[in-house]
Amino acid sequence: MGKRKNVIAYLFVSPWIIGFILFTGGPILAVILLSFCKWDLIAPPRWVGLENYIKMFRSESEFWMVLKFTLFYTLLSVIVSVGWALFTALLLNQKVKGVRVFSFFYFVPAVVPMIALTFAFQLIFNKELGVVNYLLTLIRIRNTPNWLMDPNYVTWLVAVLNIYTFYTGQMMLIFDSALKEVPKELYEAAEIDGAGPLTRFFRITLPTISPILLFNLVTATINSLSASFTLIYPLTGGGPGKVTQAISLDIYYNAFKTFRLGYASAEAVILFCISAVVSLLMFILSKKWVYYEV
Amino acid sequence: MKRRMIGFQYALMIIVAIIMFFPILWIISSSFKPLIEFSSYPPRLFAKTFTLKNYQEVLTNSKLPIYLRNTLILMLGNTVGTLLSSSLVAYPLARMDFRGKKLIFALILATMMVPSYVTIVPQYILFRYLGWLDSFLPIIVPAFFAYPYNVFLFRQFYRTIPRELDEAAKIDGCNEWQIFWKIIVPISKPIFITIGVLSSIYWWNEFFVPMVFINSEELKPLSVGIYSFSRTTFIVRWDLIMAMATIMIIPPMILFLLAREYITAGIKTTGLK
Repeated sequence: MGKRKNVIAYLFVSPWIIGFILFTGGPILAVILLSFCKWDLIAPPRWVGLENYIKMFRSESEFWMVLKFTLFYTLLSVIVSVGWALFTALLLNQKVKGVRVFSFFYFVPAVVPMIALTFAFQLIFNKELGVVNYLLTLIRIRNTPNWLMDPNYVTWLVAVLNIYTFYTGQMMLIFDSALKEVPKELYEAAEIDGAGPLTRFFRITLPTISPILLFNLVTATINSLSASFTLIYPLTGGGPGKVTQAISLDIYYNAFKTFRLGYASAEAVILFCISAVVSLLMFILSKKWVYYEV
Repeated sequence: MKRRMIGFQYALMIIVAIIMFFPILWIISSSFKPLIEFSSYPPRLFAKTFTLKNYQEVLTNSKLPIYLRNTLILMLGNTVGTLLSSSLVAYPLARMDFRGKKLIFALILATMMVPSYVTIVPQYILFRYLGWLDSFLPIIVPAFFAYPYNVFLFRQFYRTIPRELDEAAKIDGCNEWQIFWKIIVPISKPIFITIGVLSSIYWWNEFFVPMVFINSEELKPLSVGIYSFSRTTFIVRWDLIMAMATIMIIPPMILFLLAREYITAGIKTTGLK
């Protein structure tokens, strides 16, 4: 009887198991093997041992730049998107009329295709004709920046534009429901004691929602690692030069433009290791937010 | 004092709303500008000479209708596939005890964290071997094998359904399949709608996966089509791009308005217990 039940359960789960073997688990093993090979899809793959990795980590290798930008972008976009999500969620928790209308405007960029938004950004941040630089000249700023072409600005810009992504909207909603669960009595007590809004935020709000903050920080890291292509590729194409070449773009170029599949696989392995470390962190920290109960 | 505080709050909320909505507004309003106005300075939000020509042009004289059709196919295929498979897979994870359940659930959560760039090269090779490149198959077929994120959402919902229902059905002689199909599925309508909507919006917007697997113009979805259109014209046709972009952003916005409660509820539960 017990055995029969196991069989039935596995029949239900079987689509996922097949999918896992074909599209996730199998490919992860394959990408590790491929990272030790040289392959251009025409000649048969050739085992080259650690060559791809050695090439990647040579001191003059471009990969250092790619890795540096990816980590910079991830770190900055996590700070920006989590901070922005918390800020907007706090605004939506104010006792003012029309919160529902505001929440529509705050969340709607999250459901709009990023590719469409990147076209708007190209116009808005244009050096000569863009509205951002026009506004800057109105407040008498000369030498307005060439946002998308200047290596100094563009790396910051792409990270800041993360406030328009689906993931930031998602975090805003999660923060929003966490904020609604902070006990009202705490605020009332603090107000009687004469605590100002800032004190209340740092002494009551932040400690109460800290598990959710932690959760959002880790998911934001995974999200910016796995969504960077959709924002950066159409916006800058990795340029100017290669200053915004995140690892996702580099994998794409190497695998599907120059057909260096082994090298691209080695990069994918590095990306896998980075996200595995983040996930592990998530797993360890998860005990704080009771997320994995089976 | 109190009044000034509220005034300040409103001002802040309005500024944030403008920042968030501005790019969308810019796309929509620009779609009514003739090309020449894109190079006028200072930049204007609204067109000096309002025109509908851009829409006429992209609807009759570009590949937009084909891109739209392709997007719809990808969106529907993925949504149907994921609803069928994920609802099924989540059932025993939420409501049955079996060996290896913990391991399977842990693996499902773990694969949620793997960026698609990690597995894209082997997947490409697999689909090349199968002869599926440059078709919808590499993009739709995986949906029929349950996406972890959606399995997770279904499981969270199923867990809230009282177990007594299953017990009663079992006494009446129902097997697991009948319990799933006749009891669980009918009362899980909200989660089917939530995932249906989320998946539709996701695949309407998706850029990376079709970018890798599709080359022919005739098979490109809107996201990739609009991108390649912006790259192939001699001068950048901002007028036409903005009309296409507007056509692309309106449906997810409408869908969001219609299914707002479902979307927000679905997202909120993912982050919490």
